[in-house]
Amino acid sequence: MVFEKVCNILSEQFGVDAGALNMDTAFVEDLGADSLDVVELMMSIEEEFDVGEISEEEAAAMKTIGDLVRRIGDDD
Amino acid sequence: MKLIIDAMSGDNAPEAMVAGCVMAAREFGQEYILVGREEALRPLLAREKADGLPIAIQHADDVIDMHDDPATAVRQKKNASMSVALRLLRDGAGDAMISAGNTGALLSGATLVVKRVKGIRRAALPPMLPCKNGHVLLVDAGANTECTPEYLLQFAYMGSFYMEKVMGVARPRVGLVNNGAEDTKGDPLRKETYQLLRQADEAGRIRFVGNVEGSDVPKGACDVAVTDGFTGNVMLKTVEGVASFLVGEIKTMFLTNARTKLAYLLVKPAMGALKKLLSTSEVGGAPFLGISKPVFKAHGSSDARAIRSAVRQAMNFVQADVVGEIERNIEHMTL
Repeated sequence: MVFEKVCNILSEQFGVDAGALNMDTAFVEDLGADSLDVVELMMSIEEEFDVGEISEEEAAAMKTIGDLVRRIGDDD
Repeated sequence: MKLIIDAMSGDNAPEAMVAGCVMAAREFGQEYILVGREEALRPLLAREKADGLPIAIQHADDVIDMHDDPATAVRQKKNASMSVALRLLRDGAGDAMISAGNTGALLSGATLVVKRVKGIRRAALPPMLPCKNGHVLLVDAGANTECTPEYLLQFAYMGSFYMEKVMGVARPRVGLVNNGAEDTKGDPLRKETYQLLRQADEAGRIRFVGNVEGSDVPKGACDVAVTDGFTGNVMLKTVEGVASFLVGEIKTMFLTNARTKLAYLLVKPAMGALKKLLSTSEVGGAPFLGISKPVFKAHGSSDARAIRSAVRQAMNFVQADVVGEIERNIEHMTL
């Protein structure tokens, strides 16, 4: 469920097919995300899930969808 | 209409922002919200004798400056005037927002707080450059250094809407900035974009006039010059530098001796007109095209007159409903 929601957010933000995303999809290497994209993604995640504020350090450490899903899963 | 002004932004803040706002209120009417430190703004409004004008103050005790990280500034400084002003716009407290502050932070803030129009991949900052028959819109000029063909296609549409709706140019000519006019010129980004723009032209949605070289742009070869932000920024700074250099050289030439000084008196009105053409304060501001509500960037060195011009630009932008036009055409602008 968390994975699907994350994929939908990414699909909308990056204009990619949600079905083409998997846990190993990397934000920078695979989706071409820049620093602003990453902040935008984190803000969307904070709005969608009850995870509190994701710090810059945490955001920088999250490279893939899997990393993000696990971070949300820890709190959700 | 209500305009939200980031009163702590720019090199001459808050004095120029307040004076420009008062000037605009007197000249254009409308309502205003000045966002910033109340204790600094109130005496300035009193100095401008703004009693009775529809100008409200929204207190914000922090400021985003040029040293703040653009990507995170608005998130980290939630009580900064820029952050508060953007939230006011998002929440419907006003119709447009104007700031002369940190360009990167404003772009990030607009993207993160106000959000882009759904389907728009990147917002663009398009300044107006003086050219032979008026002005040309350079899109993008620095907001997006790395672009895809889809970004450039969207810049072309948005720039075209802006020139038509706000600047009153009928069927604006869209040119793709390239290293040659022939349709085979350019790197893969330019070649692919060329095809997309040609298709949009064939469908009657924009008027694509093909590739334009850097030297064609000041000659007025197009009304909208489409390029990636890296190239656009280099172009913009080169044009500004050349203009400043030439004006300086002309002045030096006229100051050579008594005869040339006398000649200067004869051409003084024409020099004034040239200076006006090259002045940033005449145009005032540039919108972030692609943001879901009007956000305007005024030049960092804006004086009161430039802020007044930015207000006028923002009003025209709201009245022309450029955002609505982008939303209505988004299906043609995405791949």
